Amino acid sequence: MSEYSVIGKPTTNVDGAAKVTGEAVYTFDMTLPNMLYGRLLRSPHPHARIISIDTSEAEKLPGVKAVITGKDTPGGKYGLWRRFRELTDQEVLATTKVRFIGDPVAAVAAISEEISEKALDLINVEYEPLPAVFEPMEAIKDDAPVIHEDFPNNINNTRHIEWGNVDDAFKKADYVREDRFNLLSQHPAPMEVHSSVASYDKGSGRLTVWSSTQSPYFLQLGLADALKMREGNIRVIKPHVGGGFGNKNSTMPDSVNAAVLSMKTGRPVKIVFNREEEFTTTEHRTAMHLAIKIGLKKDGTIMAKEAKIITDGGAYTGLGATTLYLAGTYLTFPYKTPNYRYDGVRTYTNKMWASSVRSFGATPAVYASETQMDRAAHDLGIDPIEIRRKNAMTSGYEAPGQYKLESCGLLQCIDKVEERVKEKWTDLSKDEGVGITAFAYMCGGIFNWIDTPYAFSGAMVKINVDGTVDLFTQAADIGQGTNTVSVMICAEELGIGIEDIRLHPADTATTLTDLGAWASRETMMNGNAVKAAAGEAKKILIEVARIKLGENIVYDLEVKDKRIYLALRPERGFSYYDIVKDAIKRNDGEPIIGIGHYTPHGKGMVSPAFAFGSMGVRVKVDRETGQVEVKDIITAHDCGQIINPLGARGQVEGSIQLGLGWGLCEDLPTDNGMILNPSFVDYKLFRTRDMPQIELYDVPTYDPEGPYGAKESAEGTVAPTSPAVANAIYNAVGVEFDGNVLKPEKVLKALKEKEAQ
Amino acid sequence: MKKELKFVVNGESHDLWIEPKTLLVQVLRDELGLKGTKRACDSGACCSCAVILDGKVVKSCSMLALQANGKEVLTIEGLANGANLHPIQQAFIDNWAFQCGFCTSGQIMAAKALLDENANPTREEIQMAMDGHLCRCTGYNMITEAIQDAAKRLQEQKLQEAAQ
Amino acid sequence: MKDIIFDFEYFVPKTVEEALKLLSQYEEGECKVIAGGQSLIILMKQKLLTPKYLIDIKGLSDLDYIKLDDKQGLRIGALATHRSIEKSPVTQNGFSVLAEMEQNISSVETRNWGTIGGNVCHGDPGGDPVPVLIALNAKLKMTSLSGERTIDVENFTLDYFETALRHDELLAEIQIPSIPPNTGVKFTKFSQIAGDYATASVAVLITLDKNEICDNVRIALGSVGTASTRAKKAEEILKGKKISDDLLAEAGKIASEEASPTTDAEVSEEYKRELVRVLVKRVGREALERAKKA
Repeated sequence: MSEYSVIGKPTTNVDGAAKVTGEAVYTFDMTLPNMLYGRLLRSPHPHARIISIDTSEAEKLPGVKAVITGKDTPGGKYGLWRRFRELTDQEVLATTKVRFIGDPVAAVAAISEEISEKALDLINVEYEPLPAVFEPMEAIKDDAPVIHEDFPNNINNTRHIEWGNVDDAFKKADYVREDRFNLLSQHPAPMEVHSSVASYDKGSGRLTVWSSTQSPYFLQLGLADALKMREGNIRVIKPHVGGGFGNKNSTMPDSVNAAVLSMKTGRPVKIVFNREEEFTTTEHRTAMHLAIKIGLKKDGTIMAKEAKIITDGGAYTGLGATTLYLAGTYLTFPYKTPNYRYDGVRTYTNKMWASSVRSFGATPAVYASETQMDRAAHDLGIDPIEIRRKNAMTSGYEAPGQYKLESCGLLQCIDKVEERVKEKWTDLSKDEGVGITAFAYMCGGIFNWIDTPYAFSGAMVKINVDGTVDLFTQAADIGQGTNTVSVMICAEELGIGIEDIRLHPADTATTLTDLGAWASRETMMNGNAVKAAAGEAKKILIEVARIKLGENIVYDLEVKDKRIYLALRPERGFSYYDIVKDAIKRNDGEPIIGIGHYTPHGKGMVSPAFAFGSMGVRVKVDRETGQVEVKDIITAHDCGQIINPLGARGQVEGSIQLGLGWGLCEDLPTDNGMILNPSFVDYKLFRTRDMPQIELYDVPTYDPEGPYGAKESAEGTVAPTSPAVANAIYNAVGVEFDGNVLKPEKVLKALKEKEAQ
Repeated sequence: MKKELKFVVNGESHDLWIEPKTLLVQVLRDELGLKGTKRACDSGACCSCAVILDGKVVKSCSMLALQANGKEVLTIEGLANGANLHPIQQAFIDNWAFQCGFCTSGQIMAAKALLDENANPTREEIQMAMDGHLCRCTGYNMITEAIQDAAKRLQEQKLQEAAQ
Repeated sequence: MKDIIFDFEYFVPKTVEEALKLLSQYEEGECKVIAGGQSLIILMKQKLLTPKYLIDIKGLSDLDYIKLDDKQGLRIGALATHRSIEKSPVTQNGFSVLAEMEQNISSVETRNWGTIGGNVCHGDPGGDPVPVLIALNAKLKMTSLSGERTIDVENFTLDYFETALRHDELLAEIQIPSIPPNTGVKFTKFSQIAGDYATASVAVLITLDKNEICDNVRIALGSVGTASTRAKKAEEILKGKKISDDLLAEAGKIASEEASPTTDAEVSEEYKRELVRVLVKRVGREALERAKKA
């Protein structure tokens, strides 16, 4: 394989100049002529029947142009799990009852946000409060209040995964242990709050919506369902997005209400959440109770694993049902688990619902699994690195009926981390400790709960007569660098430069469907689509070049450095620009168009490929305050062929900040369904002084499924971070935890309990 | 009752009449259309709205616009020299110091204020200066490296200018 | 995002006297003074404070100074910004505990615009300056149309967001007496996130005599009550003695009992007491080391 020209080389962001000059436009920034500003009136009760809503006073306020309630909406229900209609449980505005504090019941559009805000105070809602339930274990009891009438036990979804013979294997195991965990939530807290602008065209009856979204297509479908419109009459455009981290997959009240208000007023309507709403009414990480039982041989080989999870789903489905499945899946990674059984239950509760957040179920699952692994290692007297090595997945491993691995660099990652840890952290001082973890993560999901007939990703390449390329992808760059990856892949495939390519991203009207940015799918799925599209265009160029060369069909031609030439005799070839001109002439003057798509086939139930890695964390514990200082991190990852090392590193470091937050300081305490800390003052995140330096090592492999062998990077690194911290704390001061958010008080309490023993 | 606000933004004079309750960030974004300065919180805790006021970096969301009366404001839009990026902006690009970019304007303005005051800051000094800025994407270290790189570039630029 | 959505009348007095005249015209509760507004504006966005009249004193440069007098000590005008105190050679050289404290308040952005007077008058028991000023035995000078008065800082902050400042008064100056020889002062706040609001904070001043006996000690606690207070019983443990680690530990224990923290969404009362115990011990030790070196 020849060395790549573009792939694998540190490449700056194609959106760089726009972002550093303030010119990049986010939905948050948008204004359109004659635009109105919308605000939502939200329920103060966690569970209540709506008796009446009187909007007459609000309508009279000067500057108010429309006030709507549930009865003014087209009445469609929506949600991401569209194949299971009973799970598309969201309404534009609550019609009969509200199910969490913040559930929207009315919306106002006015000439300024201030007037809309004031109008909310003039809307009179009569509620009949109902008993509410906030805890999953309580919610499934027979006498619990019923949150959705179609779900009498408040069980939103269940999942069962099984292979082998778990009961038999446990009987044969030398060592069996069970651990229980209570794993708490986390708010993704993207810097750009939810924002949408909707513009209804009175002439055609078509709608255009700009939104801070992770998936223009998902939003298009959600709007179509909510508004009972044909998808094709809704155009969704994704401007620059200020982060998502999982809470911008679902269709949310900002977009659907902006749409209805625009349809009612005939004017564009913008709805932007404030930060309090972002914390209290947008999706957060799924909290769960988790019980995990493991059976090992005395040499540490895993024989069986059994897990049960009950998740705190909140008031609606979102992607919480997928999290339920993936948590059960990630409990088996990254170790060979010959016998496995998982039962998961997702419950409804009267709180803002939990959905997908970066690492999508892996974070709590890997925390449980990796801390348990260390405990087992201690009990068996086996080195924690050794036990991981012994059980590590390898290429070709298969979990029957679920997934099969092609590339797998896990062992090399573990080796690298061990080598570096032993080299660097030789001088642990008192109360310092080291924790090691291993992990794996998917490259997009083989899931079609969205119920699409389309390929999971499609792309189009148009080569113009001057050699410039217009690349059309619907993939959603939300900061992770997908735009740059798309352009890099296209450049590599056509043998040209990034400067030759203009990207037209994320517009449902002009690009082929892509399912969006979640479960780390863009590089794998969109990347493959782009490569395929460019490949189709390349075929045309190569054919023209072959004809001009007059060469035998068996001789291969290659493209590189803006030339198209004979592989065996590189000096025999042509400039890309000349071939392009020729090709267009030969095609009746049509520009060169290449269309490609990708959908995983025959790759199991989960993902077409998996990335792997290992992480070492060094901490220092202050025994008197319980403060845990994360001093240093060493991590190695196998992402197949890294497309952009700059982007990959950035993503890994960011994912670790999120992982450390989940583990140490980010907490969403609630009281009767009310989130108590909905501001950046009270919700604590790691800042620049708190972050350790991170050494990152790339262990390249090649996965045949990925574009140029590429796999995902850095959604996986969220999950191993906190168990590595927990394992390091144990190594330092000998205390264990059954959950996360290891705030100083919690650590100190554990230390004192240990002392008392 | 509206009051007069006369101030200079990015070298241009403005004479506006605004309600006293208007925040500086509202004037910059909504009146003057300078959307590069962002808002990401309501409690003065994230510094996405940072701009430079009379040479000092401040949060434009936590000031009444009228408090800028008679003063000079520099926003992200005022950094580049025509079509030429400022060395700090280029350093941010070259060091992948942003991902979603929403906190970036604030980070760059704070970096500029820092480097104007301290041309050769240590890593610790950079972190102390930048600690008000929340970022959810980068994990911060690459921002620190970009600022260290920017310091070098600015010093080189000074040397070049002195040589001429 | 949240803006200030209620209207108010806005005044920009050109002199202190003009400001005082305005203040005396309005009823208590109707009128608010704004300086840097770093706390006030947030409260106004949340509609927790909705004054009808706002008097902007930020531009009164007469109140913005940091002066050192050999005999009288340090004089800081109420409108000195946190940043100016942090960076001033006067504070850095002679009253370094102030510069250290200021350096860890919030962000550079907040410190560039927010004033020490605004912080003190806000009466937030979680604020950093007040415990340090108490340890330094500072006084506050207030001015109104009827004259000036000066009180000890520890008598100024009374309760949550309540101070001794009358509604027709302005805080004019913070007066910090010269630090005697053989004195060490140290302030530390504990927070999980670096530079964050204090979960608990402690300031300790220790003056030693020539035999290294503790001649004077002041221990101020922050964030563990409705206002910043001195831990006087803990002080008694140390006063007149040669301070040892054991004594410091005991002082910490007594101080933790003197504190009156409450449980909040983040942290329990017991933990805050524990922090007081640990911090008094540690900060006391550091103050002692500084006193020995002085």
